[in-house]
Amino acid sequence: MTFVQVMIMAILAVVIFLYGLIVNLQKWGTGVTGYNLEPQAGKKGSAITFLKTWWKQVTAESHHGHGILETLILDIALQRRILKRSPFRWIMHLFIFGGWMTLFALSGLMFAVEMIEKIGIELPFTPEVFRDWLSIPNYIFGYILLIGVLIALVRRLFVSEVREASIKYDWVLIGILFIVTISGFLADGIRTGIIWSFGLAPSAAPPAALFHSIFALVFCIAFIPYSKYIHVIAIPLALLANKGGE
Amino acid sequence: MAKRTPSIDTKNLTAVQLMELDSCVRCGECVKWCPTYAASGGKPGLAPRDKILRWKQFMNKSYGFKAKLFGPQEIPQSELEEFKDDVYGCTTCGVCGTVCEAGINTVELWEALRTNLVKKGIGPYGKLASTTKIIKEYHNAYMLDQKDRLAWVPPDVKIADKSDIVYFTGCTAGYKQLSLAFATSRVLNKLGIKFAMLGEEEWCCGSNPVRTGQIGYQQVAHEAARHNVEALQKKGAKKVLFACAGCFRAAKVDWPRLLGKELPFEVIHITQFLADLIKEDKIKWEKSINKTVTYHDPCHLGRHVGVFNAPRYVLTHIPGIKFVEMDRIKEMQRCCGAGGGVKAGMGDLAVAIGEARVKDALETNADILSSACPFCKRNLSDGRDALKADIVVEDVIELVAEALGLSTT
Repeated sequence: MTFVQVMIMAILAVVIFLYGLIVNLQKWGTGVTGYNLEPQAGKKGSAITFLKTWWKQVTAESHHGHGILETLILDIALQRRILKRSPFRWIMHLFIFGGWMTLFALSGLMFAVEMIEKIGIELPFTPEVFRDWLSIPNYIFGYILLIGVLIALVRRLFVSEVREASIKYDWVLIGILFIVTISGFLADGIRTGIIWSFGLAPSAAPPAALFHSIFALVFCIAFIPYSKYIHVIAIPLALLANKGGE
Repeated sequence: MAKRTPSIDTKNLTAVQLMELDSCVRCGECVKWCPTYAASGGKPGLAPRDKILRWKQFMNKSYGFKAKLFGPQEIPQSELEEFKDDVYGCTTCGVCGTVCEAGINTVELWEALRTNLVKKGIGPYGKLASTTKIIKEYHNAYMLDQKDRLAWVPPDVKIADKSDIVYFTGCTAGYKQLSLAFATSRVLNKLGIKFAMLGEEEWCCGSNPVRTGQIGYQQVAHEAARHNVEALQKKGAKKVLFACAGCFRAAKVDWPRLLGKELPFEVIHITQFLADLIKEDKIKWEKSINKTVTYHDPCHLGRHVGVFNAPRYVLTHIPGIKFVEMDRIKEMQRCCGAGGGVKAGMGDLAVAIGEARVKDALETNADILSSACPFCKRNLSDGRDALKADIVVEDVIELVAEALGLSTT
């Protein structure tokens, strides 16, 4: 029953995410296709217009900036521009980015294994064994994410210039990340009885896992195009379009 | 009931620029470095990230998820007016783009937003509208007679009728800051460089309409680019020299875009030209300056087109100069406050920024604050005067002229 519920929620989350992404692409596509132009009268924004304009800019020759590969590795994956400005914030963001992306990938792998088993394809290991294999990397990257999130929270709460400049748009993102991370640790702790169980009975593990999964699906997938999370899509696109930036 | 229409449109804003709005994570780096925000005493509306947030909200109200479901939400005219004032409270120096962690091309974004607002009938700010009309009518920004373009030329300066090298003076050096024109022309003569000038065929470079969002106003910028390029070709130009950073930026970046093609000649700033001559050992200095000199990078020469080293190379090769650097230099430089129409539109703000830059220079104990742009010289001088500071503001070309034993008056 739980697996079915999560499946439905996952599909719904992806559908909501895709719809929001298309709305954003269409919104961006209301822009013009080049320098000093005006949109065609009566033409609505289209995702295709955006993608074509973006690609044209990515592949345009330029006297400055970096190549696509360099931008992908140094500016997007390793976030060189943040490092240049603040090594402290770079560590914070890299922990959140690295932790989040890796846990997302590991969760996807786990989900894939469960799906394969459900449709009757035999694997040399059971989903339970596979979950055990993933437990150590899950812990490592979970703690990496947690450290990053805690630094971000402390910074936003206790550094006055950051706190005073924070708006709901900022708080929602960090708040959700915090809840997702903590609920993940709790769900796993209750299941295994290690550290994060807080004395709760193992019978509480399934609802805790369900809460974590649903919360993560809703707020870390479906919510992306409707919130500050959109930056995880827009920043790489902007960096590629501007050849790594000035 | 008629369907509501969005309060804003996307004229001049590219699809990529609209996406860039959503890439801003409000990290605040731009706020830390913005010279107008600092000089205003921290007016929130001038913070680059605040402008991005507001236009993003305008976009979402007009074209976002809720607008798609329930129709566009009206944006009060007063909000758009306030936004316009803030977008014009920017020198378009571009330091926000340099420090932006998302790599947003902010200079292009501010200029596109200005153009969009002008087309909407909301901009430009204050008297900036009249400047473009003046340029359209007079072909210079000072309402002066084109026939007087070469009125400053002293008898000792020799100008060829045609030459491979053409010196594009610029309105400010040619009409207002004559010492720069004297210095440039005499230095070229002294070095045996044959050069021509456009005279009354030299029109305003078009920087002003482009920077202030009036690129669409009666094709003024396009006409300026087309006319100047044709006039330069008629003079036989293979290399065009600029001593004005604003004109240089316009020629190097804006003219090819406005005309949709590469220029048929090379454009080069006078400091690059002189640096090459020094490397070839073709300059024989005659005087020692014996002063401590610091250098302010003009935004249009430095951050916008990447010329950082040539002016420093020239200064450090002038005999007697002890060269010192300020804190914020090269790509991280603090703007002088003159650009983007701020000097013309918001004079007090411009001077406040100029004061901040002069304070940077004073911290180095320099005798001379040099630059390579007449606009920078003007605003840094105003900042210096406001502070009643004891520091000389001089262009690099003036120092070169002095070291070659030439008069700049």
